[in-house]
Amino acid sequence: MKITHTRHFKAFSEPLINSNPVFIQMLGICSALAVTVQLKTAIVMGLSLTFVLAFSNLIISMLRKVIPRNIRMIVELSVIATLVILADEVLRAFLYDISKQLSVFVGLIITNCIVMGRAETFALGNPPSLSFLDGLGNGAGYGSVLVAVAFIRELLGSGKLFGFGVIPNSFYNAGYENMGFMLLAPAAFIIIGLLVWLQKTIAHSS
Amino acid sequence: MSDQLRSFLFAAATCLVCTISLTAASTGLKGFQQKNMAVDRQKNILKAAGLIDENAGYTYEQINQLYADNIKCIWVDSKGSIIEKGQKAKRELPIYIYIKNGRIESYILPINSRGLWGRIFGYLALKNDGSTIAGFTVYKHSETPGLGGEVEKRWFQKNFEGKKVVDRTGSFLSISIAKGDVKDTVPKDKRINYVDGISGATLTGKYLSSGLKDILLEYEPVSLKFRTKKLLRLTAGQKSCPVRKDK
Repeated sequence: MKITHTRHFKAFSEPLINSNPVFIQMLGICSALAVTVQLKTAIVMGLSLTFVLAFSNLIISMLRKVIPRNIRMIVELSVIATLVILADEVLRAFLYDISKQLSVFVGLIITNCIVMGRAETFALGNPPSLSFLDGLGNGAGYGSVLVAVAFIRELLGSGKLFGFGVIPNSFYNAGYENMGFMLLAPAAFIIIGLLVWLQKTIAHSS
Repeated sequence: MSDQLRSFLFAAATCLVCTISLTAASTGLKGFQQKNMAVDRQKNILKAAGLIDENAGYTYEQINQLYADNIKCIWVDSKGSIIEKGQKAKRELPIYIYIKNGRIESYILPINSRGLWGRIFGYLALKNDGSTIAGFTVYKHSETPGLGGEVEKRWFQKNFEGKKVVDRTGSFLSISIAKGDVKDTVPKDKRINYVDGISGATLTGKYLSSGLKDILLEYEPVSLKFRTKKLLRLTAGQKSCPVRKDK
């Protein structure tokens, strides 16, 4: 059997495009607005969320047969919150500068609907290895959208990529101006909307 | 075992495991985090004094060494005289001093100003003429990232360099953050006292301006001594000092 047809591969690849958490399920929009002003923060945020999502899925899937049903959401939330705080503490200890730039957003992963959503819909009903891969896939799917939005916002909003200026000075001299609007949250809404449109058009035609 | 009891026990066990792992992580990493924060403050003092290059990377040891070699600290009372720490003066104001070739090159004031969402902490370095700003940095704030949060960015801080806290006649005026670009909003003869504002963060600028003014006013007696050349070098062999924690 080809690797692309295994359940494990599908658990990872499905959320990348066909059921992308942001484009298709419309989850995690709020943080996608906040951290996409710059590429650097978008990438670290994507990685942090992937870490939290993969391990929360793994732990909850391992516990799925013993968690009492009436308190399962609270238990899931404690696992997620613990992982998020761990990630934040580690960033603060070893990547202090980046953690300073991300400020509150790492902590806000707790409220990211994707994490809870995957725990509820996937980890509770699937074995740990599949759940872990599903977490990785969803994290990557979310992260790639962040990077795409951040690329557009940083380029148009501040004329930079990864903090380095890419718009030549001659453009500015000729009257080109950075779009201040791109730095504001509504711009992210519009970009995500356009990307969803693009994604749906491609999916439809194929 | 009834379902309720089972739920209760499971919840208690979950709490216990989460608490223990978080406590372990927090205790275990605290040393690293505090070291990071202390070095970050030292780095900001050095940055305000113009002693380190923004783009180059520095190790902890290099920062520590640079700080120990160049920065001393003194305490002054409200009249601007140097006092020993703990002398029970009404106000003890800390100042970091950058010494170059035995003379005071610049003096650095700790900044603790109101911002829109919380305090803004940083350092403001003034040259030994008592009126020219050598540098400004921010190491901790709660402003909106992308808007007021830009106070921590190089482009904003760079604008402070070379600006004056006095007017043309030499009397105190403070430094203010303009609403928009200085070249568009401030008349030519006053531009030396203004820095470019941040679009979308008018209030952050307003509060930081007034915070800076209050702090500069508090330190005005010392600045006056520098302006009249009464303070050029430190007499006693001041030792290097640890960076104070923000309150």
